[in-house]
Amino acid sequence: MTTTPTTAPATAPATSQAPPARRRGRLRTFARGHWLKTVPGRIRACAALLLALLALLAAVLTAALDNARDGVQTIGHDAGPQVVATGKLYFALSDMDAQVADILLIGREQSLGIGRQGSLRRYEQRRHEAGLAAVQAAQLAGHDPKRQRTVQDVLDGLGRYQQLVGRALLLNDQSDHPAGEAGADVLKIYRDATDLMRLELLPKAYNLTLDSGAVVRESYESKRAAVMTGRAWVVLTGVLALAGLLLVQLYLAREFRRLASPGLALAALAAVAVVIAAFAQLTAQAGHLRDAKDDGFDSVLALWRARAISHSAFADESRYLLDPERADTYEQVYLDKSLSVLYVEPGPGRPVNLGTYYTALGTALSGYRPGRGGFLGFFGDEDRRAGGGTGRDALTRTLRAYAAVQDNDRTLRALATGGDRAGAIRLRMGTGANGAISAFDAYDRGVDALIATHARAFDDAIAGADGGLRGWRWTPLGAALAIAALMFAGLRPRLAEFR
Amino acid sequence: MRATRAAAAAMLLALSGASGCALDAGADSGSITHRRSLAIGVKGDQPGLGLKGRDGRYQGFDVDVATYVAGRLGVPPGRITFRTTPSSQREDALRERDVDLVFATYSITAKRKTQVTFGGPYYVAHQDTLVRSGATGINAVRDLRGKRICAVNGSNSWRRVTDERKIAARPVPVPDYRACMTLLASGGIDAVSTDDLILAGFAAQTGGGVRLLNAPFTDEKYGVGLRKGDLAGCEAVNRALTEMYQDGTAGRLLKKWFATSGVSYTTSVPQFEGCS
Repeated sequence: MTTTPTTAPATAPATSQAPPARRRGRLRTFARGHWLKTVPGRIRACAALLLALLALLAAVLTAALDNARDGVQTIGHDAGPQVVATGKLYFALSDMDAQVADILLIGREQSLGIGRQGSLRRYEQRRHEAGLAAVQAAQLAGHDPKRQRTVQDVLDGLGRYQQLVGRALLLNDQSDHPAGEAGADVLKIYRDATDLMRLELLPKAYNLTLDSGAVVRESYESKRAAVMTGRAWVVLTGVLALAGLLLVQLYLAREFRRLASPGLALAALAAVAVVIAAFAQLTAQAGHLRDAKDDGFDSVLALWRARAISHSAFADESRYLLDPERADTYEQVYLDKSLSVLYVEPGPGRPVNLGTYYTALGTALSGYRPGRGGFLGFFGDEDRRAGGGTGRDALTRTLRAYAAVQDNDRTLRALATGGDRAGAIRLRMGTGANGAISAFDAYDRGVDALIATHARAFDDAIAGADGGLRGWRWTPLGAALAIAALMFAGLRPRLAEFR
Repeated sequence: MRATRAAAAAMLLALSGASGCALDAGADSGSITHRRSLAIGVKGDQPGLGLKGRDGRYQGFDVDVATYVAGRLGVPPGRITFRTTPSSQREDALRERDVDLVFATYSITAKRKTQVTFGGPYYVAHQDTLVRSGATGINAVRDLRGKRICAVNGSNSWRRVTDERKIAARPVPVPDYRACMTLLASGGIDAVSTDDLILAGFAAQTGGGVRLLNAPFTDEKYGVGLRKGDLAGCEAVNRALTEMYQDGTAGRLLKKWFATSGVSYTTSVPQFEGCS
């Protein structure tokens, strides 16, 4: 259709070498454009233009749906499992070190916590889980060499860690000490082990999870933008096709003095229906992607990080009691972790330390109103995101449990610095109603419930997106063919008049 | 019919033109990824980290890390402009686009995260204490009770000893860390307490006479400052930092700048803060 009569004569003879005389004549007629001056020629030309537009519409719609499909695949089916696998790896590793700290802390007093045997069983179980999670994370890392290398480094480090722990446990058993009085030789080896875990292995596992978050953000932004651009293209090509159909209709009405061709009218109606439905579907897909990321994935990832950091902070309490020489360090990292989970301003002119943190936290949480927490950190983000909707009640309950965990921390440190280390250890290892372990478990269940609400929002959005896309697999092609068929049905009787 | 075709062609042209523009102005505008050159904010007065020489050139660990990261972002050393960004001006310098990135012993805090997007940390420093090598009886921060410590004007480090840890040390006001080092050597004060890498940089410069306790009591997460919201840039910085540790560059740079000071440093990749 875009062949222009001025340039075509120069190229047309060159491409056809010695054709039969009749064919040459036709080509010449075609190239000169005389055929356009005849009525059937014009109808055929219009039909060809309309076909091209319909093909473009189908192609544009297919591309937009493909982009949506890629986005749903990455966000819903690749990154989700990756976050779970790397998250399991982090928890397993973190809990291994926590169990070792507990064993060394309680010494021969088996009644504390879950006892030495209980902790050893859990250590073994976590080691097993860490191995499985590492294998899974390696598989999901695909061909990314940096990620593969990180997983490999974690596995290598885990081997060294277990050797150190083996030696520390052996010395610990030989010394058979009362709770909180592990020997200097035991502590020296445990320091190497926990440093290896906290400074090398855990950061790597954590960074792997963050990396999945980066993949999701990138994919979300590019795919959602592509779906929106695709939607604009669908509307524009659809409007062009519709305008073409209407113009042909008008032309036929003038030339043949007929009011309307039913085929063409139906084709126009079908085109309108397809464009409206496609617009709605692409809008819904963009919406599903946004819901999956904003209401689901972002919150799940942020809360998962809050949970990981809370677990390692809780283990820092054990280490604080276990190793008095390093108590300052463990107290400071506990504060840093608490601040990243929930940050409150200590007030003008007041220093940031645990004392001011307890006070400011108490003030912030006693007057807590969902959506207006006025604090920062992971729970601050969650409050702004979810304060009005998904997970609002679960958040309120979790914050209450968090306050209880910090209350225990305050009491524990007061006991320890006041000279009652045994009392502090009993509180920290307590599994009864007033024990720190039960309070922490309650808090952990709260975070878990909060994660579950967002995971449901995520699953719903992904299921919605998948359902929509399944229904639209053959729609673009089918719709274009149907409109084309209706159009030819409308044009055929008119062309037949010239035979 | 001619008019129709002409109109259709015009619409198609307009359509492709418009969408072309829309794609060009995509999400990456304003990001530090795909830049031809970069302006990077560093410190100008911290030996070992960011020190501006008489010839106007900057050198130190921060400068080397910044050069490596810029290289991974596709910007060679020749197209990097370093600028001095004092502590009080780092947020403004980023916001007003004086600099694209900040590598200037810039600790990540929850409050700063509301104004700045942080890549990294590229290193987790710890507050530690420097004493004269002959001084015995000071082995941890708690031993600073009753001792004269440096209270550098505008710095928060000494307050972390006296206010946060509630240790009754005696702060001696001084204008800057260089003056602290002179006072420490002459016996005017007993200890300097701040980030171990800063202390290590000064210790390496003075070359003996001082001792680093290696008794850390805080975590200072040195982040890479980016303009708020540049998440693509932040993720690219994190990938570059991962590579810097994996290929051994980080270990080499730490050794180059701090090995002689006696500070114990970590050569494994830190836990990233996450881009927000």
